[in-house]
Amino acid sequence: MAYISFLASVLEQSSPIMLAALAAMITLRANILNVAVEGMMLVGAFTAIAVGNASGSAALALLCALVAAIVMSQLLALMTLRFSADFIVAGLGINLLAAGGSLFALEWFYRSPGGLRPITFPDLWHIPAGALSWLPVLGPALEGQSIIVVLSFLAVPACFVFLYKTPTGYYLRASGEDEHAARSAGIDVARMKALALAISGLLAGLAGAQISMDKLHFFLPEMTSGRGFIGLAATLFSGGLPWTTAAAAVLFGFFGALGDRLQALDIPSQFVLMLPYLAAILGLTFARWRLHIRNRPARILKPQATSEPSGSHRADLEPS
Amino acid sequence: MRRAVVDLLKAIRAPVAAIALTLAIGFVLVAAITDEPVRAYRDLLFANFDSLGNFALFLNRATPLTLIALGVIFSFRAGVFNVGGEGQLYAGAIAATVVGVFLSGLPAIVLFPLAVAAGILAGAFLGWIPAVLKVRLAVDEVVTTLMLNIIVLLFTSYLANQVIRDPTSYGAVSQMLPQKIWLPAFPGVPGATSGIIVAVLLSIVSWVALFRTEWGAQLRASGTNLRFARTIGVPADRRIITAMLLAGGFGGLAGTLYVLGIGHRFEQNFSPDYGLVGLTCALLARIHPIGALATALFYAMIINGAAYMQISTDVPRSLVDLLTGLLVLLMTARLGLRQRQG
Amino acid sequence: MTGPDEILHLSAIAKTFGEKVALRDVELSVRRGEVHVICGENGAGKSTLMNILAGIHQPSAGVIQLDGRKVEIASPIVASRLGIGMVHQHFTLVPSMTVAENVFLGRHLTRLGIFSDRQAMIAQAAALIERYNFGLDPRTPVRELSVGQRQRVEILKALAFDAKLLILDEPTAVLTPPEVDELIGVIDGLRSRGRTILFITHKLREVKAVSDRVTVLRHGKTISTHFTRDVSEADIARDMVGRDVFLVGRAGRPRTRAFGPTRLRLRHVAITNAAGRRLLDDASFEVRAGEIFGIAGVDGNGQTELSEVIAGFTDIQAGSIEFDGRDVTAVGVPGRQKAGLGFVPEDRLDRGLSVTMSVGENLAATNYALAGLTRHGFVRTDRVEAFTAGKIAEFDIRGAQPSTPAGSLSGGNMQKVVIARELNRDPPLLVVSQPTRGLDIGAAEFIYERIMAAADRGRAVLLISSELSEILALSDRIGVMYSGKLLRVLERSAADEVTIGALMNGSVGAVN
Repeated sequence: MAYISFLASVLEQSSPIMLAALAAMITLRANILNVAVEGMMLVGAFTAIAVGNASGSAALALLCALVAAIVMSQLLALMTLRFSADFIVAGLGINLLAAGGSLFALEWFYRSPGGLRPITFPDLWHIPAGALSWLPVLGPALEGQSIIVVLSFLAVPACFVFLYKTPTGYYLRASGEDEHAARSAGIDVARMKALALAISGLLAGLAGAQISMDKLHFFLPEMTSGRGFIGLAATLFSGGLPWTTAAAAVLFGFFGALGDRLQALDIPSQFVLMLPYLAAILGLTFARWRLHIRNRPARILKPQATSEPSGSHRADLEPS
Repeated sequence: MRRAVVDLLKAIRAPVAAIALTLAIGFVLVAAITDEPVRAYRDLLFANFDSLGNFALFLNRATPLTLIALGVIFSFRAGVFNVGGEGQLYAGAIAATVVGVFLSGLPAIVLFPLAVAAGILAGAFLGWIPAVLKVRLAVDEVVTTLMLNIIVLLFTSYLANQVIRDPTSYGAVSQMLPQKIWLPAFPGVPGATSGIIVAVLLSIVSWVALFRTEWGAQLRASGTNLRFARTIGVPADRRIITAMLLAGGFGGLAGTLYVLGIGHRFEQNFSPDYGLVGLTCALLARIHPIGALATALFYAMIINGAAYMQISTDVPRSLVDLLTGLLVLLMTARLGLRQRQG
Repeated sequence: MTGPDEILHLSAIAKTFGEKVALRDVELSVRRGEVHVICGENGAGKSTLMNILAGIHQPSAGVIQLDGRKVEIASPIVASRLGIGMVHQHFTLVPSMTVAENVFLGRHLTRLGIFSDRQAMIAQAAALIERYNFGLDPRTPVRELSVGQRQRVEILKALAFDAKLLILDEPTAVLTPPEVDELIGVIDGLRSRGRTILFITHKLREVKAVSDRVTVLRHGKTISTHFTRDVSEADIARDMVGRDVFLVGRAGRPRTRAFGPTRLRLRHVAITNAAGRRLLDDASFEVRAGEIFGIAGVDGNGQTELSEVIAGFTDIQAGSIEFDGRDVTAVGVPGRQKAGLGFVPEDRLDRGLSVTMSVGENLAATNYALAGLTRHGFVRTDRVEAFTAGKIAEFDIRGAQPSTPAGSLSGGNMQKVVIARELNRDPPLLVVSQPTRGLDIGAAEFIYERIMAAADRGRAVLLISSELSEILALSDRIGVMYSGKLLRVLERSAADEVTIGALMNGSVGAVN
């Protein structure tokens, strides 16, 4: 049953990418290119291990991971919305702060710059073996997956319902699409953007917790290894649409799982791992190209220009 | 003259304030960790000058930072939000290495310029892609440069692991470059790359090009108001693409000079995020070439100083990473450098 | 005369922005259930007045009474609570959302307190559409609607808020003629259902077609209020323009001028946009040396496209353009400038200058080679400094040092920077668009003098302006643009504001 274990690893690989993609999608709909997903994930991953280590409670660890990532998102919101810092620069600053801060904590507090490896660590809830045996193929692949993997797939319809079925979702999208229109309808655009960032933080925190808590039970510097950016790529590739974004995330998760297999076979995995980023560039380029074609001026079919000007025109055009 | 001084003070007020605030926060942290905060900060800032060896490492650190910052300045002045410094750096480093390793039989007089040209061209090519996509199709350059960074890192990882790997060493490290094309050391400072001379000269040349030529005025016009530039007859698309070729070329040169002058081989993890730190230096210098030389020197100082600080006082060197994050976060506050269109 | 049938009364409203006086003494009385037009030229203060009523600006002096009660309209929210609905010239609609979703944006109806109740919103929007006969489907996304339909969605938004007083700010500026007729139908429908409408325009034909009464503003003052049926278009035009506007100009000068050879010739020039709409349609005319050729027309009738086509920004799809008898249709912007084109764009902030660059660099931008400001491509800073200082003095650019950022100047002084830069080359062909938009009289007069001096030196000048008074004051010949077409070219002696005004509204038949 090699394909079931491969499917399981696709699901597992997709989960953090899916959450990161949704995190980037929510902010993209509020017209924010959120490059800080990676940093918020890292903060989530670190907090999960640190709190789990100290408290021995998986639930508390998960909760604190989410809170920490949301705090980072609101720090970004504060700098950009309140102090009008540039979104890209400040977002990259969040990433640096997350990387530097976690490394600093490792070196100073834990005296272990290589990473934080608790000897014992509380386990997340996993789908028990055999619980889904009634479901062919997908059932066995889902068994043994963590609660966060389940949540990450439930997050897709949740995001869809939020964006398209609730007033707040409408207002958030309006704020992203036409700030002026939103404002004139009495919507507090800055609040909507801060909310988008907070949701983004929540999802990114979940993604980070999945990476460090699910199987590994330890934290390493840079352990998110660009999955925040893969998520961003998935969102950009899909133009910010929830279902397409989810599909792209699964596709990129598939690339990731494939890369792992290839690596095990001593085949260079780098080219497979490149695919999400190439897809993002090509997807965006294709979308712009289509727009470009559509906005080209229409050809003049019947050249009116060859007709003679009317008599009165001509009289007026004669030099006096 | 007095007005010039006042203008200068006004121009550096905001970045100096951001640096001062960050260093102050850092000092509070340091004071919490060690009993000797003053000693820690002295080492952080000045241990670079304690010995000739330290000074050499300081110059080696400053060289790539200055060059990347200069590249960023050309692109930002042309209105391109280029965050691709890291990718351009790696492209230059790997291209120069590949040429140096594969064509090592060639005489130095041929091989050296060939390696340098390969490095610069590789970086420039990486700048060209987002520039053309932006100019022709208005594809957002932040996305393309960000994604290209990762693509290049993966590609160099492939080359370093599979193609030019030094089988005798551990990790993704290339074979040594032939010694005949190593960059000579900085005169009087053994172990220091003479690349710093190139960096200093180029920052002056960049300033002249940007602020003392008609070409520079046209480039800046394209960056500050594209429609204005087109209206007065500036070939703006060409200027923007040239600026990005230069930006990439500077990044590529940074990588080239690193492998030729400092590393003498390609190592997959040779850059402690030079791309982003170089961008930070450029923005702190208010995208001014001479100012960028100053901020790059400052940054080289504290990155290396952090290591000395760690040895002498037990304060983790990653304090600097933490502070860099804070600084970048604070840096553009209240003076938004670019109105993003979406 | 605050009577029971009066819904809105303004007395002695004034508004200043810094030193600029936008409104000085506005009196206005609007009766319940009437369509009241506010009419005036650009800069007469119409927009400022509307922004005060919409709560965007606060008056510096004067009293606003609504239903006989004194009110302060502190914000747009307050305005809508008071029952004032504003339909802006620039739409505030979210393109991806449907008509119903836009109508209820910011105050969605909900189900279970969480979910948007789409069905209820569609039903309510449909009821409104039905009542006013708007002919819209509430389920259509706004991006699929025409401009005229979008405007109806805007009106619908105001009606859903139960606006008693509906303000339409230049609603026809963006509409095609058939859409204008539809809008007039919509307004009639609203009036017959008891809504009061304040309609801002400067198009005389619409005043007659739509309104019960008309109030004319000029230079921030109320000039007159009439029952529309009692006055002619010419009467309104006279109030709008006012004789005293002809401060300087050609009209009063001796006309002993001979024109030279043709400098600019357009033959059958046409362009269309992506939707296939003809933006410029068979434009043919010529401008001779020593002549000022004025293009009159209401904004958005192809003047912008015309200037951009001549400057070389936009490729034309039919026809040809000649400078001095040489075909430059395929020549780019730099080539046309070398061939002798000077160009003052209509919006100084958009195309005219770079606000973050210094005054010196803005002035030098097109003059580096010509004024000897460079040597081997290197800028000679001392020369730039001297050149800039000279221009600042010559054009009386106030508040400027060579190193000050251009953006710190006032609008008039920015415009002087643009004019000074373009005139420095003394180009044989000068294209000037909206040269005095937003300027005070003094600055405008200065710029008029410069334009006329250029013509007197034998330069050919194409003057594009939506200020009729400006066109009449400066031009030797006048062409009128309407809906992308150059309707007619008149000698200055054959042109007056009534004739041109009628042409500007597209009625060729009115003149023979």
